[in-house]
Amino acid sequence: MVVYLIKRLGLSLAVVCAVILVLFSLLHLIPGDPATIALGPRATPEAIARYAAKMHLDEPVWMQFLIYVGNALTGDLGVDVFSDRPVTTIIMERIGFTLSLVFAGMGWAMLLGIPLGCLAAVRRNSWLDRVTGVLSVGTIAVPSFLVSIWALLIFAVELRWLPAIGAGEPGDLGDQAVHLILPAFAIGLSWVGYLARMVRASMLEVMGETYIRSARAFGLRPRRIVFGYGLRVAILPTITLIGMGFGGLISSTVFAEIIFARPGIGKLIFDSVMARNFPIVQGGVLVATGLYILVVLISDLLIAWLDPRVRETL
Amino acid sequence: MAKDMEPVPETLLDIRNLSVDFRTPRGRVKALRDVTFPVRKGRILGLVGESGSGKSTVLWAILRLLAGNAEVTDGQITFQDRDLLGLGEGALRATRGEEISVVFQDPMTSQIPVLTYARQMFDILYRRPNLSKAEKRRMAVEMMEKVGIPDPASRIDQYPHHFSGGMRQRAGIAMALLTGPKLLLADEPTTALDVTMEAQIIHLLQDLQSETGATVVLVSHNLGLIAELCDDVVVMYAGEVVEAGSVHEIFHDARHPYTRALLECDPARIPDVSRKLPVIPGDIPDLTRALKGCIYASRCQRVMPECHETPPPAAPRSGAGFARCHLLEGPLRDPDWPPPQDVLTVSRGGAGAAAAQKSISDTPLLEVEDLNVRFRTLGALRARLRGVTDPFVDAVLDVSLTVRPGETVGLVGESGSGKTTLGRCILNLVPGESGSVRFEGREILGLPERRFKPLRRDMAMMFQDPVGSLSPRKSVRALITEPLQIHGITDLDLDAEAERLADMVRLPKPFLVRYPHELSGGQARRVGVARALALNPKLIIADEPTAGLDVSVQGEILNLMADLQAEHGLGYLVITHNLPVVRHISDRIAIMYLGRIVEEGPAEAVFRAPMHPYTQALVEGVPQPDPDRRRAHVSISGEVPSLLNRPRGCDFATRCPYAQEKCRREVPPQFHPEEGRRHACFFPVN
Repeated sequence: MVVYLIKRLGLSLAVVCAVILVLFSLLHLIPGDPATIALGPRATPEAIARYAAKMHLDEPVWMQFLIYVGNALTGDLGVDVFSDRPVTTIIMERIGFTLSLVFAGMGWAMLLGIPLGCLAAVRRNSWLDRVTGVLSVGTIAVPSFLVSIWALLIFAVELRWLPAIGAGEPGDLGDQAVHLILPAFAIGLSWVGYLARMVRASMLEVMGETYIRSARAFGLRPRRIVFGYGLRVAILPTITLIGMGFGGLISSTVFAEIIFARPGIGKLIFDSVMARNFPIVQGGVLVATGLYILVVLISDLLIAWLDPRVRETL
Repeated sequence: MAKDMEPVPETLLDIRNLSVDFRTPRGRVKALRDVTFPVRKGRILGLVGESGSGKSTVLWAILRLLAGNAEVTDGQITFQDRDLLGLGEGALRATRGEEISVVFQDPMTSQIPVLTYARQMFDILYRRPNLSKAEKRRMAVEMMEKVGIPDPASRIDQYPHHFSGGMRQRAGIAMALLTGPKLLLADEPTTALDVTMEAQIIHLLQDLQSETGATVVLVSHNLGLIAELCDDVVVMYAGEVVEAGSVHEIFHDARHPYTRALLECDPARIPDVSRKLPVIPGDIPDLTRALKGCIYASRCQRVMPECHETPPPAAPRSGAGFARCHLLEGPLRDPDWPPPQDVLTVSRGGAGAAAAQKSISDTPLLEVEDLNVRFRTLGALRARLRGVTDPFVDAVLDVSLTVRPGETVGLVGESGSGKTTLGRCILNLVPGESGSVRFEGREILGLPERRFKPLRRDMAMMFQDPVGSLSPRKSVRALITEPLQIHGITDLDLDAEAERLADMVRLPKPFLVRYPHELSGGQARRVGVARALALNPKLIIADEPTAGLDVSVQGEILNLMADLQAEHGLGYLVITHNLPVVRHISDRIAIMYLGRIVEEGPAEAVFRAPMHPYTQALVEGVPQPDPDRRRAHVSISGEVPSLLNRPRGCDFATRCPYAQEKCRREVPPQFHPEEGRRHACFFPVN
């Protein structure tokens, strides 16, 4: 277990370093001098020299890289080109909006998708199974930005039930929750389909196992057999999928955040790319990557906790 | 014997006119037709039959756990004056696991891997709300102790994968007996176990049954197991009961031609070690078609025209027994049937009843010398952290073996003995650590695959799982000629070659266009043999060549292998745990235990007078299909130690009834007491 954790953390660190390297090279592959880009075409040579010294641009490239890695690992992601505020602070201000959206979106997808898949498998070929089958393919096929726009048009513009844009008044949790509904619906919808299909497939497989027949032969209650025996095993591959889904959502919330004008990480990165504000792009991508790795690690540990066979090979 | 004389005990379970259909895409399969037999209280009833006989369908019908496409079309199953077929879901759940319980076939798959035994056993006791958790736990621990699980109080909190196969089956028996059921159903309870474990489980079931007086229905294809355990026997064929009677009646005075044939095909019953084994030709009839007359008529040696038309009458025998055959009752009765027991009623397969004269050449084909195979158990980092200096296990240790052209060498061992690893290492599928493997005098151990590939034409493998080792998307024709294509042999007419090979393994031509799932077990084996033969090899390594085959067809495969050997002078290395089979087909036998060969010698001599105590235990451990030869004791206790903690001294010392101080101290060398025999025991038994 300890060895496993050391290995996993080491591997995570390697992935983070690789991402930094890619981001760093990207910046240096873009034509033009960073200082000129940062200060604009009309900057004086003195200002450029001052800026270059401050940003260590006069050091060799590898040195610059090491400085950046060192800073990044200690939480210093540089400063915003325009406002001069630390990137870490800017990201921390925004990250809550993205995380709450991701949790809400995945959360409702799990609450609906897993029981739906489970029921569809237990009542195979019933109307519920068929409806679930059609709906899950439908929700997977429709892209989330389309769902966002339609949800916006129907519930906010036509019916006026829910607010259209923004993340709600700061400090007012109720208002923020109301503002969360539509984007969470939009990004979670396809996950309802994914999860229902995944759970259904693995439930069907598990419910055909001999140990399920054993449980029936010992006369256990159907509820215990389905949830205590069937889902207990069938959920394991789904946890991996959810972990990866969480990670994916962190970066793919960008559509929902743009459409609903939520000040999350996705929107931040998008705006910064538009404004060529590279320190923020770098920092944002790095934080998203870190979160992704963290969530996948948590899902792996969760599987180990649920499955003794996996636990002991760690 | 005594039980046969007692007055007829009351009936606990009465199955009457049970008929079950399965709805399949091919039509309705009439899997059970008019099955009637009583199960008497306090007795062990054996339900015996080959695959497709419907014996398991009967068992699952009793519990009402038939597959979703099954339909009970007729009949009653009366258990203590209740018709189980008419019970509602709630009443049914109160019966299952509480009054009727089951011991399952494969303890590896029938126990949920993610719950501890304690959790699984509490679940079974959920109908006892007045018991506290501590009381339930005490009950469970007591039951685990009763079935012989050491240290039950702590092992009950472990998961199934912590238990060895034999221990798992013990735990499975504990779970089945936890509620004190009146009726215990046992579905092939020892099929998944090794010989020495099987003997222990049989013994345990005997003890528990005589102690609790429970009624048992034992479903098995293993005649030895049935003879060893049962009081009454019901013989099924293709969904019908063909004969029923006491165990002595069935094994000593079988009347139905099928029962006779089945007993004659069992290699354990054939006293001479001739190469040719008796077989029942043909396959079970297609149960989707309308059936009339006798179900066995198409394969019966004594078939008469009426057999195809008129259903045979039931000829009663003592007690509730009967046999359904025209030869026994009615106008066609033959007073000379059945013939005395020593007369064979089925032929020894195919052309030339006697085994062809063998010629074994003296130049060795395959020579293995001091071969060692090791596997890494821990990664370098983990090993260092845990302070393990030697993170390896020895799967094969100092093994020497010779196979000559025209010779069959049987390699026998239980699971974990390293026999399969040895076979794979010879074929360069796992790397050897040290030693030497020579093929026709040439060193082949550790050759790179590029240089080994031409040798694969001379050395073929017959795989254990006949259907699983065939690609489901290829036709038989493509499968048979696949080895030719892999070796880039294009100057042959592949179609003609496929036909020649199919002919060689006696596979009818229409089968060439079929796919693996359309083949029976025996036919899939034939395809496996044809694939092995495609490149005209000199050596065939056969891994469990008859595993999963019914006794009536395993003879066909073994006879075929013997014929091909006589014809082409092939050398065989047969890897198996099936002793009766290996005795009939092998010239020499090598017994493996924990990676070492503990005894080797001519097959006949090894079986007649085993020298190593382990060989003796194996030979005596096979249940004999004769109720008069039941064992009084189990010859060896305990289980095969893990390779990770190999015992000090002799590997077998921990289980050996004759072990002495020296055995626990020193590793025994190979002794050569007479020409052609060797063993590794300080104190040989014979």
